[in-house]
Amino acid sequence: MRNYVLKRLGLAVVTLLVILLALFLMLELMPGSPFNDEKITQAQRAVLDAKYGLDQPVFNRFVHYIKAMLSGDFGVSYVIQKNMPISAMLEARLPVSIQIGFQAVLLGTAIGLLLGIVAALKHNSFADSLTTFISVIGVSFPSYVFALALSYFLGWKLKWFPLLYSSAAPFVSTVLPTIALSMFTIATVARFTRSEMIEVLSSEYIRLSESKGVGSARLIIVHALRNALIPIITVLAPLVVALMIGSLVIEQIFAIPGIGSLLVTAIQINDYNVIIAVSFLYSIMFIAIMLAVDILYGVIDPRIRLAKGEKHG
Amino acid sequence: MKKVKIAIALFSVLLLLAGCTSAKQGSGTTPASTESPSAPTASAAPEESPAAAKVLNLGKDVELASMDSAIATDGLSFEVIAATTEGLYTIDENRVPQLALAEKVDLSEDGLRYTFTLRDAKWSNGTPVTAKDFEFAWKRLVNPETASEYSFIAGVAGLKNADAIIAGEKSFDELGVKAVDDKTLTVELECPIPFFNSVIAFPSFFPVNEAFLKEKGTEYALTPEALLANGPFKLKTWEVGGTTFYLEKNNDYYDAGSVKLDGLNYKIIKDTQQSVLAYENGDIDYVALSGEQIASYQQSPEYHSVLTGFLWYLSPNQKVPGLENINLRKAISLAYDKTAVVDEILKDGSIVADFVVPQFLATGPDGKDYRETAGSYPSNNKEEALKYWEKAKAELGIDAIELELLFEDTESATLVSQFIQSEIETALPGVTFTLKSQPKKNRVELMYNGEYEVGLTRWGPDYNDPMTYLAMWTTDNPNNFGKWSEKAYDELADRVSRGDLASKPEERWEALKQLEAKVLEQAVIFPVYQKGNAILIKPEVTGVNLGSIGGSISYKLADKQ
Repeated sequence: MRNYVLKRLGLAVVTLLVILLALFLMLELMPGSPFNDEKITQAQRAVLDAKYGLDQPVFNRFVHYIKAMLSGDFGVSYVIQKNMPISAMLEARLPVSIQIGFQAVLLGTAIGLLLGIVAALKHNSFADSLTTFISVIGVSFPSYVFALALSYFLGWKLKWFPLLYSSAAPFVSTVLPTIALSMFTIATVARFTRSEMIEVLSSEYIRLSESKGVGSARLIIVHALRNALIPIITVLAPLVVALMIGSLVIEQIFAIPGIGSLLVTAIQINDYNVIIAVSFLYSIMFIAIMLAVDILYGVIDPRIRLAKGEKHG
Repeated sequence: MKKVKIAIALFSVLLLLAGCTSAKQGSGTTPASTESPSAPTASAAPEESPAAAKVLNLGKDVELASMDSAIATDGLSFEVIAATTEGLYTIDENRVPQLALAEKVDLSEDGLRYTFTLRDAKWSNGTPVTAKDFEFAWKRLVNPETASEYSFIAGVAGLKNADAIIAGEKSFDELGVKAVDDKTLTVELECPIPFFNSVIAFPSFFPVNEAFLKEKGTEYALTPEALLANGPFKLKTWEVGGTTFYLEKNNDYYDAGSVKLDGLNYKIIKDTQQSVLAYENGDIDYVALSGEQIASYQQSPEYHSVLTGFLWYLSPNQKVPGLENINLRKAISLAYDKTAVVDEILKDGSIVADFVVPQFLATGPDGKDYRETAGSYPSNNKEEALKYWEKAKAELGIDAIELELLFEDTESATLVSQFIQSEIETALPGVTFTLKSQPKKNRVELMYNGEYEVGLTRWGPDYNDPMTYLAMWTTDNPNNFGKWSEKAYDELADRVSRGDLASKPEERWEALKQLEAKVLEQAVIFPVYQKGNAILIKPEVTGVNLGSIGGSISYKLADKQ
């Protein structure tokens, strides 16, 4: 098991390095500069390039970047907040994104499970159709459609929740973005839970427990749900990835100072260091999730483990 | 089965952990912001302070990029810098420079030496604003170590040695500005500059306190604590990477009595749909409109349109075979209906441009706007266009020509380009345009390198004088994308900016009109429109100076009922 984890970790580090190099090479190909291309002259551009080390060959910059990064230095922003260290920007913005991401995962999983269970228990009923309807809507509409609809009805018409993020009210002002972001999770989890529960509920051990007189609440929660949960782990990674992508748009809409909106802005205006740092952060999160899921697989099913010779009972 | 149990356990732990982290983050955000001393007031003050506080809530779609007057390059940064800092002059609502921190100015007879006497004013830390603050700031602007994107403006202002310093031939210490004593600043120019007063009203020429800057080092201007104000407002909160920042009234401002607002609360909302919703909701008092929104609010009493100094025009590349022919250029320039562009497509208060120098940009020695006396030029005349096209065909020995129209991938540029394409193709049989859409950065780069045929581009003024436009078509100007060149034009442009005409305002003004006439007669560019901005302002807000062209929006005299 340990070897397996180490091997996966080593692979993750190499992948991250490759991603970083790819980012550098791609930025090299981007047109224009981070500076005001409409106005600056060649001479000024040269002065600016020299100041920020952009006159160096791309490989030198790559090596230099990695060295600095290891000591926590991600460079400074060229455009969004000129000369501000990016580590400070990430420090302020990352917690906000993580907060909303987790809220969305929690809400999405809770409601998804609930819908899935009810649908499975009341198979072919109205509740079941409703769940299917919600699942289809949740999977097929992009999150910004929900964001706009929620803003319009719950925010503007009914005035239940604020339209914009406010650091003074970090919970209330993230209600709408959390719901918008969790719709995909709700839909996916509900769908999976429903089909798994239907299968588990018709299995022999449930029938056995039932005939032994186990109470229905206990039967559903302890016996059925537990087993139905396992396959949901398999959708965990794609779900979190979907959340990360959704946050790019959602943060933009609700004026949330997270890293998603930061990345979108940076790409539009060539803020090189910000693009690299945030994309890199996204890669780390993505790879960490994949790694966690891989390891979980290993725990669930020893046959998946690549390492051999470990004893288990 | 045991493994399965472990898996379930792990998953529940994961969920639990998620819950914990979420809770921690949720409550964690508040302490985190308490750490930065001013943050709690950030969003609390404006919304929850007693009703007595008069705070203007402003929606903007870009971050506050820089509060350093030598580093800033964008409109919002200049707006906020101008709200917190004053220079020697400010530009009033009639576009006339008025003395601000300078109390008195003396100009030498040859027009080369200004002596400013400063009024009593204080920085927000209590130290007086002195002439040394100006000398330091101006030298810092041209110092290559500062790497200012706006250093060129010192050359535009004609400061002695500025161009040589920027070119790296002289030390920044040799700039023609000197603090004689705390109250007296002398400025030496290379040649008389008729629009000197309005150039130095620009934020790049605002004072900077040297001792304070040195004390803050690389932190300078990055946080509210690392900033000084001497203007109507001071920056109170500006969270790193935040989406709000707050300016409060500066009671140390010398004219604090005229300031009626208690503060300005800026919210950065990138999504235009959401910002209009927030305006409707009463969260913000000011919002900029775009695209479809404009049409639905145009009848509202809260709708205003502000004419900007941006001129959008088509630039024909003279190196492309066919476009060197003046008759083809004139044909194209007359073949599209500009009224439809501003009335049907943009609808944001933009006006038809049959000119090169925008309206309300510059006031002449006669006290009138340049456009009032500069004459008018033909707009769109499809019959004339066709005649020119026939002549061009004969001269070039062709029946048809295919050209590529380069534009940036914004909604408005795309719609305008598509419209112009169909207009020209209908009016001039045989002329076909293919469309090439590129991201803005790429569009600018292609045009800069001359790798285009006809390009839709824009130019915004750097100072309130026609030369901010007319200098562009001199032979060596890097923004002369189309590479049009004429010796007589270069010579006259030189006389106007640096030569004998610089000290003869009336003759100079006439020469500027000749330059413009030449650009239009030669169809060096094909003007399309002068950009307007559509905005909404709540009716209870009064006294906002929406910004003269080249000057920033000013909230100094604004009030909210």
